[in-house]
Formats: sequence, structure tokens, C-alpha cells
Amino acid sequence: MSTVSLGQLWILLRREVWESPISFKWAPLGLAALIVLIAVVSLTIGARMDADMAFTLDAMRLFAEMDPDQKRLIVSGLLFSSTVLFFQLLPFIIVFYLAGSLFDDRKDRSILFWKSLPVSDSMTVTSKLLTACLTIPALFFAAILLTHLALLMITSAYALMAGINPLAHLWLPASLPRLWSVMALGMLMQGLWLLPIYGWLLFCSSWAPRVPLLFAIAIPAALSLAQHSYSLISGLRLPEYNIGMIILRRLGSGVLPGNANIDFSDGLQNVEFNESLFMSFTTVFNHLLKPEMWLGWLIAAGFLYGAIWFRRRATDQ
Amino acid sequence: MTAIIQARGLTRHYGRFKALDGIDLDIPPGRIVGLIGPNGAGKTTALKAILGLSSYRGKLSVLGKDPSRQRDELMREVCFIADVAVLPRWARVRQIIDLTERLHPKFSRPRCLHYLAATKINPNARIKTLSKGMVVQLHLALVMAIEARLLILDEPTLGLDILFRKRFYTNLLNDYFDEDRSILVTTHQVEEIEHILTDLIFIKEGRLILNSSMDDIQQRYCELMVKPDEVHAARSLDPIHERVLFGRHIFLYDQPDVGHLKTLGELHRPSIADLFVALMGDQDSAAAELENAA
Repeated sequence: MSTVSLGQLWILLRREVWESPISFKWAPLGLAALIVLIAVVSLTIGARMDADMAFTLDAMRLFAEMDPDQKRLIVSGLLFSSTVLFFQLLPFIIVFYLAGSLFDDRKDRSILFWKSLPVSDSMTVTSKLLTACLTIPALFFAAILLTHLALLMITSAYALMAGINPLAHLWLPASLPRLWSVMALGMLMQGLWLLPIYGWLLFCSSWAPRVPLLFAIAIPAALSLAQHSYSLISGLRLPEYNIGMIILRRLGSGVLPGNANIDFSDGLQNVEFNESLFMSFTTVFNHLLKPEMWLGWLIAAGFLYGAIWFRRRATDQ
Repeated sequence: MTAIIQARGLTRHYGRFKALDGIDLDIPPGRIVGLIGPNGAGKTTALKAILGLSSYRGKLSVLGKDPSRQRDELMREVCFIADVAVLPRWARVRQIIDLTERLHPKFSRPRCLHYLAATKINPNARIKTLSKGMVVQLHLALVMAIEARLLILDEPTLGLDILFRKRFYTNLLNDYFDEDRSILVTTHQVEEIEHILTDLIFIKEGRLILNSSMDDIQQRYCELMVKPDEVHAARSLDPIHERVLFGRHIFLYDQPDVGHLKTLGELHRPSIADLFVALMGDQDSAAAELENAA
């Protein structure tokens, strides 16, 4: 790709952020503020019940005497769980963004302006896909970092009051570099894992005459239902291969850290809360080895080709 | 010099409806061409084909490129203003300028700012807060700052007031147009562009009814306001149209014997609007009009 097209791509990616500041910037920042607020409020209430803070400070001191491994599990585990809400919100933002991305400008006719610029249709579609896979996760990731830093600073204040060194007992056990890089990789990997779904949403957004999200959901739902009815009539039962199940399983086994590779075959009680759930690079990279990952890319390529094909012929409605 | 737009047998069907029915078109550089036709005549379809916004059959070459395959390359040399308000409503003025600067290799920011300085547009304003007129001003400033060879205007002044419409075309003529560039414009406000056009095309039901230069048209067509007692003589000379104004009969002729006509009444150059009615008007309503007058 030439430098000209890279420059184009860069401004197109910024354009997407300009267009949706609320869902890309203010939603994750608001969530960060909410989580910090909850932490502050619960600490304040705690301090009220615990008159001289004796309990809280004692607990801090006890914590400081714990095993380093346990400290790491507790601090990084708590930090990780503070981000769960972000990971719940992220897919919704991405799904709504993608469904509207190639539709909104057809609806408000600004496609006539975009198409009057010397930008190819594949470049346009690429910029939408990269926004979903990179920009939105990156902005959410930034909000997560802010949340972690704020939470650590608040607890550091308590540690200082208890007379323990916050650096040694909080910041070091938090193992931020590792926690953050696993998280960032996990978010990237999730984009790769969900590529076929993203591609399908872009595809629907590119041709749907109205409410692309409705088409994006109704078509696979109808297919799944038809397949189910057929297997009931014909006696050919392959419930594992029902298209609806395949899609739901793909969505459910997203590869965000914490949502990864839990083996339920021995029953739930055998799932232990340990670092491999959220701090392991291997868990994240293992997804690249799955054939489903590669198959998904193939399907995604088909949908993206279709999205570009329809985009090339799209004008105002 | 080679033609800026060249079309041969340009055709576009929507189901059974022929929006374009085999059009041949040549537009050389340095022309201002008016594409005039009633609603649904195929104007927008033709413009969309030229801009690579829709598929078509037949041969079409714009600046030597195939619009349906090379739209993005073509848009380096072609600018386009559709009827008002197609700039993205969420964007701020300065964002649109940044975007165009980064996406368009032939865009000059200083020139754009120069044009904008003459308006009341605030660079921080969002497009959705601007009036219709301001959006068109902004779009025109963007487009005039691009070194393009073809400018396509589709009803650019729709819904704007008279002052603004006048200024729009004056700016275009004084600051933009030159002998290397061509402008293709469609509008219903024919009288406004009459004096700036070099060429005129009438389109009706997907076919070109008229396609010639304004000079040729002035040579070819002649309007006669006939003396009351010469009406029959004038009618027998094969006029292409007849209308009655304040009780006087006015005939329009295609390539008449001017010397003879002079003896029957006063000769005028027909306006585009009159020519339009004569060539495109539906015959039934013209006949009804005549009967009412008689």
C-alpha cells in the first residue's frame, strides 16, 4: 500500500471517530468514571462503618504479609474483573457501528459527497472494518488503562495510611505490563475471531434497504429455523451443525481474556480462578491454531468482497 | 483536444423503464453544458453514469476513463455537487476541510479558506447547524479549491433564494471556469443559466431531443411575433410551435427563411424556456392552450 493510501486510511479512521464520539469516546470514558465512582462510594461507606478505619488498615497490613503469588492473583484479578463491564459493552458498540457504517450515508445521502472523493470503495470498507477491529478496541483499552490507574491510586492512598509501601505491595503485584499486553492482545484476537460476524454485518449494511441490523439478525435466524424444521421432518438430525448454533457458539466463545478456553467437560466445580484465565499469552495465541479461526477468515473474506461489490453500486436511496 | 465526456449508445434500464435509451454525447473542454429535461427524463441517471455511481450499457468514457470501473481515479479530475445538503451532517466545517485536504490530492486549503472568508460560515460550526445556502456555499468553496477538469452540478441551487443563486453562478464563472475545464449542469431554473451556457442539451424519455451549441441554436431557431392579419400566412410556414400571448400569436420556426418572416412581424431570439416548451412540451396541453386563447 502506498503512502498516499496510508494517509487516506488514517484520515478515514479519524473520520469514524469524529462521526461517533459518543459511542467511541464518551461511552468507555463514562464507564471508567462509573467504575471509579463505585469504588470511591463503597470505600466511603466502608470508612463510615469502620470508625477509625482500623479494620480497613488492618486488612491492608494483613494483605501486605501475604504470599507474593497470592498478592499478584488478588491485585491483578481484581483489576481484571473491574474491566468486565467494558468487555460487555464493547461488542454492542461494535455491532451497532458496523450495521450502520455503510447504511447511514446512503440514508442521509452524504454518500454522494463521499463518492465524489477519489477514495476507492474497498478503501472505504477497509476503514470501517479497521475501525471495528482496531480503533474502537483501542479507545476502550485506553479507558481501561485509566480505570486501572485510578483504582490503583485510590488503593495506594489507603496503603500509605496503613503504612505499607504501595509500590511493593500493590503496583508490583498488579503486573500491569503483562496484564495490559494480554488484554490488548485478547482484544485484537477477538476482532480476528469475530471477523466473519463483522464481515456479515458490513455486508448487510452495504445493501439493506433499511434497518440493516434487522436483516443481519433475521436472515441467519430464519435459516437456522428452516434448518431445524427440515431436520425435524427428515429425521436428519445434526443439531451441532445448525447454523444458528454455530453462530451463537462463535459469539459465546469470544476470545477475550477471561472468556477463553474454559473446559466445562468436568463440570463447573473444576474451574478454578487462576491466572491462566486472564493472564496467559498461550491461551490467547492458541486461538490462532484453531481451524475455526482460519475458516472464519475465509468466510469473512467472502462477505467483505460482497460488501465492496454492493458499495460500488450504491448511491443515495 | 480530446473530448472530456464521450458516450455512445449509453443505455440504462430500470426493469422495463428506459431511463436512458442509447444516448450519444460529446463534451469537449472549455464548455458549459446545460442538460435540461422534465422530471424523470433521465438527467440524474445520465449524471450518475458519468460519475460512476450507477451501471449502464453502451460506451462511456470520461477523461479517458471508464467511470463504472475507475470511479476513484476519475474523482481526482471530476467534482460533483448534488442538489443541496449532501455534506455529512455530523461533521464540523474544519473537519470537512481536513478530510478533503487529506483525501483529495488536488485540493488547495488556502484557496478554500479564501472562498470561505467571503461567507459567514464559522469553521467550528457543525454542518447540521448551517442553513441550506451556507451548505451550498461551503460545498462550492470545497469544489472550487480543487483543480478539476470537469464539474458536474445536479440542481445545485435547489431551494436557495434568488440572491444566492445569482452569486453562485457568478462565482463559478469568474473564479472557476476556464478553457481547460468543462461544466455540466442540470437545473429546472433554465432562465438563470441561459446566458452562461455554451451548449444546450434537451433530454426527454431517455433520448436527446436537442444537442447543440448556443451559437447554432441562435442561428437555427427563430421566434416570430406575428401581425394579427398575417397569422394564417405564418401558420402555413411550418412552425414547430405556436402560442398566444396578450392576444398575439407567437410562432417558433426551425431554420426559417428569415427574410420572408420579417415581412410577417417582429423576429426574436427564442429563450431556452420557450424552446423547451416548443420541443418538449406535451402536444395535448399546447393544443388546449391554443383553443383557450382562440
